[in-house]
Amino acid sequence: MLRRVLVLPSGRIAVAILAVIALLALFGPLLAPQNPLATSDNTLASASGSHWLGTDYLGRDVLSRLLDGSRLSVLGSLEVAVTALVVGSVPGILSVYLGRAFEWITLRLADTLVALPFLLFAVAVIALLGNGITQAMLVTGVLVAPLFYRVSRAATLAVARSQYVEAALLSGASIGWVVRRHVWVKVLPPIAVALAQTFGVGFVIVSSLTFLGIGVQPPAPTWGGLLASDLGYLSHQPWAPLAPALLIMITVWAGNLLADALRDVSGEAGRALVNSRKTRTDRPDQSEPAPTGGA
Amino acid sequence: MTTTEAQAAPDLRRGDVLSRTRHTLGRVTVTVARSIAIFVPVFLLATFVTFALRSLSGLSPARIQLGEEATPDAVARVEAQWGLDRPFLVQYWDWFTGVLHGRLGGSWTNGADISTLIGLGLGVSLSVATFALIIGVVVGFVLGTAAALRRTTWVDRAITGFVTVISVMPAFVVGIVLVTVFAVGLHLFPSAGYVPAAQGFGPWLAHITLPAVALSFDVVADVARQLRSSLIAAYRENYVTGAVVRGLSPRRIFFVHVLRNGLGPALATLGLKFPSLVGASVVTEWIFGLQGFGRFANDSAQAGDVPAVQGVLVVSIVLVVAFNLIVNLVLARVTPASQRGV
Repeated sequence: MLRRVLVLPSGRIAVAILAVIALLALFGPLLAPQNPLATSDNTLASASGSHWLGTDYLGRDVLSRLLDGSRLSVLGSLEVAVTALVVGSVPGILSVYLGRAFEWITLRLADTLVALPFLLFAVAVIALLGNGITQAMLVTGVLVAPLFYRVSRAATLAVARSQYVEAALLSGASIGWVVRRHVWVKVLPPIAVALAQTFGVGFVIVSSLTFLGIGVQPPAPTWGGLLASDLGYLSHQPWAPLAPALLIMITVWAGNLLADALRDVSGEAGRALVNSRKTRTDRPDQSEPAPTGGA
Repeated sequence: MTTTEAQAAPDLRRGDVLSRTRHTLGRVTVTVARSIAIFVPVFLLATFVTFALRSLSGLSPARIQLGEEATPDAVARVEAQWGLDRPFLVQYWDWFTGVLHGRLGGSWTNGADISTLIGLGLGVSLSVATFALIIGVVVGFVLGTAAALRRTTWVDRAITGFVTVISVMPAFVVGIVLVTVFAVGLHLFPSAGYVPAAQGFGPWLAHITLPAVALSFDVVADVARQLRSSLIAAYRENYVTGAVVRGLSPRRIFFVHVLRNGLGPALATLGLKFPSLVGASVVTEWIFGLQGFGRFANDSAQAGDVPAVQGVLVVSIVLVVAFNLIVNLVLARVTPASQRGV
């Protein structure tokens, strides 16, 4: 699937950006040129050789704080996506098979979670249940899980009615085997799309929460927290929010781009698209793409 | 249109005006009933989760009123005063019946009536949210329609690019940019605060414009994208080809055939968008210094004021449910397909 995504230019861009962000998350704290917590008298300095992005209101190096804060933002949004995946897609697939009662209950649960304003709920739950970004992201993951529930349920419903699944069931295959062998393959592409989307959503939520100062203890740097501290000094440093804001936007954009690329290359239409692109790049002298192979 | 209605209700064939009104009323009732059948369990479950937050949090009003070094006796006395020594389900029932009557209880921090406190902030938040929705729908509609009508031209590409950019800008990033440019830089708008509409329309509008614009970006992006793709899909339908063949004017085809059927998904997105609009108000109100609903939620959550947080969550759930009900009704009125229960 990843190889197919890389055929598209947009997919290559998205994967490249996300790879850089992942590297930042892994090695960012090590790359930081200065101690991100060390204060100095040189407050609100503009960009210079020693402070590439200037300093904040306590004289701390902004670049170091950005690099040091990358891990928390990325891990937090990954946690949202993975929690939502597990909490949403497992009941989504099972709701087709485990009978009407289970279906009704999970549908109502999904309706309920959709109706909750998740940022508001995340703020409330974290503040009341203990200040930690891990709990915060678990809660947010559960709240955005209906997306996975709906996506995987729709895909499962489509497969469950297909003739080859009926044939497999008639010839004595167990439901578990059918899910593993047939359903999973069809459900995977929409889930991958939802995962990439949720990464973007999760990133916005982590940034919003850290912006409000929820889920982290004050001196620890985060991308959202950097923006919040810049807000008070806009008249001195109007350009200061630029770096963290751009980083947040580019990351969210890369997640959305990856979701679109995954959607484009999955399914029958996607296979045809990938094949036609391949033929065009492999044999540029042919005017018409070769007939694409079907299923 | 006529064929679908005739299929839906045989009694219409008599051409009776009375039966037509009765039919419309019946349709509205069916939509409302179906929505309520979904929303009642949703509301019960959501309020239960909300109420369970207190037990899960382990917070107590005694901590807030007496401080950390309170004796167990004093703590027990304060908890009994708030009725917290009773069984969980009794407390829930008490609270829930209160909620149904619009009573949300008293705040742990100052004992003030929470309904009143929320009512004070709600005016601010609803002004901003409504204005944001209006901006979002109008701008999103114009952009989406323009992109769909001029599809595969530079207009379409420019709009799609613009929409992509604004869709990845979180509300607080937009808010900071707007404050920097329009309040700090150009001094066009006040950077913070709120003036009620009663003290003059101009100042009121000036104070809510920036936060509303910050909130609206998300709505603009979603409405424009959804409208573009559903309008393009509607143009590919056979009935549009049929209308072209019959020689109908492009204007008539757009308004009667394409728009009516293409509007559904965009409206449905609006219903899904509302919860995140309410949630994002927490952040925008913080940036723009508005004493609204979201700010109240944040402050009481940080203070550990559980009844206030529960009240905020209940009110937000009611808002979301009410908004979705309205969207469903409009949807049933506008798009022919949803009348058939598709």
